Amino acid sequence: MAVADRRANPIVTDGDADPLVRTYLEKRANLVRFFAARCGSPAAAEDLAQELYLKLAARPAGPEADNPTALIYRIALNLMLDRARGDARAAARDADWRAAHRTAVAGEEVAEDAPADEAVASRQRLRQLVVAVAGLPPQMKRAFTLHKLDGLSHAETAQVMGISVKSVEKHISAALKALTGRLAR
Amino acid sequence: MTGAGAQHEDWRGEAADWVVRLQAADLSEADLLAFDAWLAAAPENTAAYDAALALSHEFEVNAEALREELSRTRPARPTLGRFFPAAAAMAAAAAVAVVVVVPAMRPAARPAVYATATGEHRSLTLADGTRIDLNAGTRLSVVLRRDERDVRMDEGQAVFDVAADARRPFLIAVGDRTVRVVGTQFDVRRRAGRLSVTVTRGTVEVAPAGEAKGEAFRLHPGQRLEHQEGAVLAKVTPAAPDQALGWRAGKLVYRGEPLAQVVADLNAQFPTPIRIDDVKLAATPISGVIILDGQAAVVRRLALLVSAKAVPSDGGVTLQRIEAPGR
Repeated sequence: MAVADRRANPIVTDGDADPLVRTYLEKRANLVRFFAARCGSPAAAEDLAQELYLKLAARPAGPEADNPTALIYRIALNLMLDRARGDARAAARDADWRAAHRTAVAGEEVAEDAPADEAVASRQRLRQLVVAVAGLPPQMKRAFTLHKLDGLSHAETAQVMGISVKSVEKHISAALKALTGRLAR
Repeated sequence: MTGAGAQHEDWRGEAADWVVRLQAADLSEADLLAFDAWLAAAPENTAAYDAALALSHEFEVNAEALREELSRTRPARPTLGRFFPAAAAMAAAAAVAVVVVVPAMRPAARPAVYATATGEHRSLTLADGTRIDLNAGTRLSVVLRRDERDVRMDEGQAVFDVAADARRPFLIAVGDRTVRVVGTQFDVRRRAGRLSVTVTRGTVEVAPAGEAKGEAFRLHPGQRLEHQEGAVLAKVTPAAPDQALGWRAGKLVYRGEPLAQVVADLNAQFPTPIRIDDVKLAATPISGVIILDGQAAVVRRLALLVSAKAVPSDGGVTLQRIEAPGR
């Protein structure tokens, strides 16, 4: 009865049989990277990867897909888009959804990691981040600030700045490149 | 610039492109396959991507603080108009549509949910250094904000060892009460509408939440507050630390609690549900230590303690009083 951390890991148990599941296992880390870029939290990305696995494992064993990697990414993209549609309303509901879902499917704990602490950056680090952003060329800085700090989408940022969505993406990307050069640890 | 430096530049540039591209609204399956191939092409690509993504997250997580800081360093009026009058005019035209959107689009703090199954214990350390030990059958969610730390406990029992931070109070919503602390150790439980808070170190305030009626209490080490949800009153009694914390070492300690509560605790630890149909038996006060070794043994010892017998009944066990007069 000692304090124990038992984690369900259904992935390991029945992976080898299905080529789709086998490919998923090979691609899992990259899928998590994709989800994390998209949903802004490593924990949520893990949840989505888990949900994707369940979707794949539940598929009836049919004719083998020509390109399992393409099929997996297609399902992953759809999963992501389905989630995003409800996102504006999702913040409050999200915890419940994840909890109910994960508890139901895995019968185990819901979150694997300590939560992201909003205050996690020290004063000094915040200062570094601010100085780096303030030093960006004006358009880059504006696009980056509107998108990353004010939470506008690429399209909304484009609207506010009166430029195309492609240009917004270029500005944000250039900003992120410059910032990683200065700040990545 | 050296050749190696230029290489790093390339990796950084491509990594940043991918982070941004993956966030695009018109992301396609072809993009994702190209992304997968790019990651596989060189380990440096993967490392550069992870670094760019981590930094991107760091900005998002600290967005609020960074906005404040930036507005302090920024001139009072946006500089956009001076450099780009046309863009500013368009921005002004577009602003009407966008203003409504902004509050909803801010990345909202995402509660992290922790749950334990029957018989499962779990310890976790939050990003602020607070430790939480979850007893079996417990579910709670945590949000760490800049100005306060919020926990909601839906069900179960947990010991909190709260990292001291005077500027960020630690609030636990449990049923119709709110527990407020600054830095201390205490146990909170909620099972079947009965709340209790036991303090082992520091000071804790327990107050009615929202519309709920009742008094606020300030608890000191060695005190326990007990409260039935929906009732106005709460009772404060002395409590030894092991009464609150014993479950972490695999034992339950009771001093006069009703058998019904003991059974509720056991049902969180073991898969086979224990029932009591007899109201008088359920109210029997229990004092003693129950070692949680195995369910059969625990039930046997408990039955001896209250002169009852354990009768198997549809998927569970029912405790029944042994009829005394017959002897």
